Amino acid sequence: MSFGNIFGAWVTVFLTLAILSYLYKDNPFYKIAEHVYVGVSAAYWGTIAFWNQVWPNLFGRLWPEYDPATLTGFNKFWYKIYNGLTWFSSSIFPENGIPGNQEQNLWYIIAFLLGLFMLARLIPSINWLGRWSLAYVVGMAAGLRIYGFMSSNVIAQIHGSILPLWGNGMGIGDTINNLVLIVGTVTGLFYFFFSVEHKGIFGKVSRVGIYFLMISFGASFGFAVMGRISLLIGRFNILIEYSKEQYGYATIVLLVVMVATLLILNLKKPEPEEEIVE
Amino acid sequence: MSNFLDKLDSLDRRYIFLIIAIVVILPLIFPLGLPVEPTNLTIDAFDAIDNIPKDEKVLVSFDYGPSTKPEIHPMAIAILRHLFTNGNRVIITCLWPDGLFMSREALEQVADGEFGLEYGVDYVNLGYRPGNEAVIKGITKSFPANFTVDSRAININEIPLMNGVQSLKDIGFIFSLSAGYPGSKEWVQYASDPLKIKTSTGVTSIQVNEILPFVKSGQLQGIIAGMPGAAEYEQLLVKNKIHPTIGKAGKSMDAQSIAHLVIVLFIIVGNISYFAKRKKEKKY
Repeated sequence: MSFGNIFGAWVTVFLTLAILSYLYKDNPFYKIAEHVYVGVSAAYWGTIAFWNQVWPNLFGRLWPEYDPATLTGFNKFWYKIYNGLTWFSSSIFPENGIPGNQEQNLWYIIAFLLGLFMLARLIPSINWLGRWSLAYVVGMAAGLRIYGFMSSNVIAQIHGSILPLWGNGMGIGDTINNLVLIVGTVTGLFYFFFSVEHKGIFGKVSRVGIYFLMISFGASFGFAVMGRISLLIGRFNILIEYSKEQYGYATIVLLVVMVATLLILNLKKPEPEEEIVE
Repeated sequence: MSNFLDKLDSLDRRYIFLIIAIVVILPLIFPLGLPVEPTNLTIDAFDAIDNIPKDEKVLVSFDYGPSTKPEIHPMAIAILRHLFTNGNRVIITCLWPDGLFMSREALEQVADGEFGLEYGVDYVNLGYRPGNEAVIKGITKSFPANFTVDSRAININEIPLMNGVQSLKDIGFIFSLSAGYPGSKEWVQYASDPLKIKTSTGVTSIQVNEILPFVKSGQLQGIIAGMPGAAEYEQLLVKNKIHPTIGKAGKSMDAQSIAHLVIVLFIIVGNISYFAKRKKEKKY
């Protein structure tokens, strides 16, 4: 077992126990884990996004790898800008362009400028430029989502809820299933129709809709509990694995140390008495 | 009795946390071997993958991270085992940044460790691209425009497996391992429905209710629902002699079942305590 693996196991166990310690109460271990998580997540996300997207797909298309002897016209000027950037960082902007054999596509200058405008939000005097980038993102996202939502969630789902109640070798079970689905859909929709007061027949139908919704919420709660228990099992599996001798009994040692520290902290600083609100 | 119910009402919730911890840990250390029966939803997903023609290219998207690893990762392992046994060639994409690490771990275990497959010929990992559904929409038109290089920085045009794969239209089946947004729903909306590509999914338990309508309407071919779904899939692999033993999900199901029983018990006792208290308040 390498030192790296053992060290990794100890860090994993410490962070897991530190997060779980919040179930006892807020404490310094939890605070450390929380801050480490936020910092590492932001740095990780930023690094991955830059090296997987910005570098190959944006810079790689603006300044693909080139042969200096073949540069002509506008590209001579264009790669002079690039050479200036090489001075800024030779690992991001290596000599002779970004490797990867991409084709040059100067339309990506628009994307580059919109990206720079977004960063302009950090400078108060020109932060208005960021609105252009945001407008593009909002417009693009809205258009893209409406298309997907309308075709898959609305049209395909309406199509999927038009079901036969008999025929084609359907058994009684299929008929009941389809009937429940149709009644649930229709009564559920009735409940969300607010232009008419929920009274009389309309009230009774929407009441049935509420029952269907409640069953759905119950199922969601059940699945949520199942999911959380699964995640807890995953953590405990890790803790059990790292409590073995080859990891230096990481779980047991850290558990004892953390419990002892929390007890000492608790003794030193008694909990404030709860205020009685009348 | 009344005194006991009053005590329950003011019970420190940390005792409940402690009981849950105990009932989860004990079955993990001392397994009971409770049976797991595959449900129709898991069987549908299994059959959909089993019926993919040999040599067909399959896209598997790793849309999850370490936070949901216990639920989704066993599915990833089981699905890859099934696909490689079938003789399918696998193209990996990741819509989540952490998905890259999850996919590397799963491929290292299954493709390299168990099957000894060749990178770039039998499988390829295109890695992560930011952009959520825009990435899916993009690859419906062109892979090279969105993935110029793979996760090892190899140009996509130099990868043998990507020969003849210009867009998603050249893919025979999509499987999304999804822990939320972007995930299964986006694959249905932007790839499966518009291009009529058969798609199936493995999701976290919390997503099941949201994704089930897509299964019922035939937009998705079955669903592997959370850790129990993964355990059922592992069971199907064993029954069909695709893999000799059950995996991590199957081994964790004892803890899951016992914990559920205890939670149901808590809900019943909590309700009895609530109604007893209400009755008492009405009395006075």
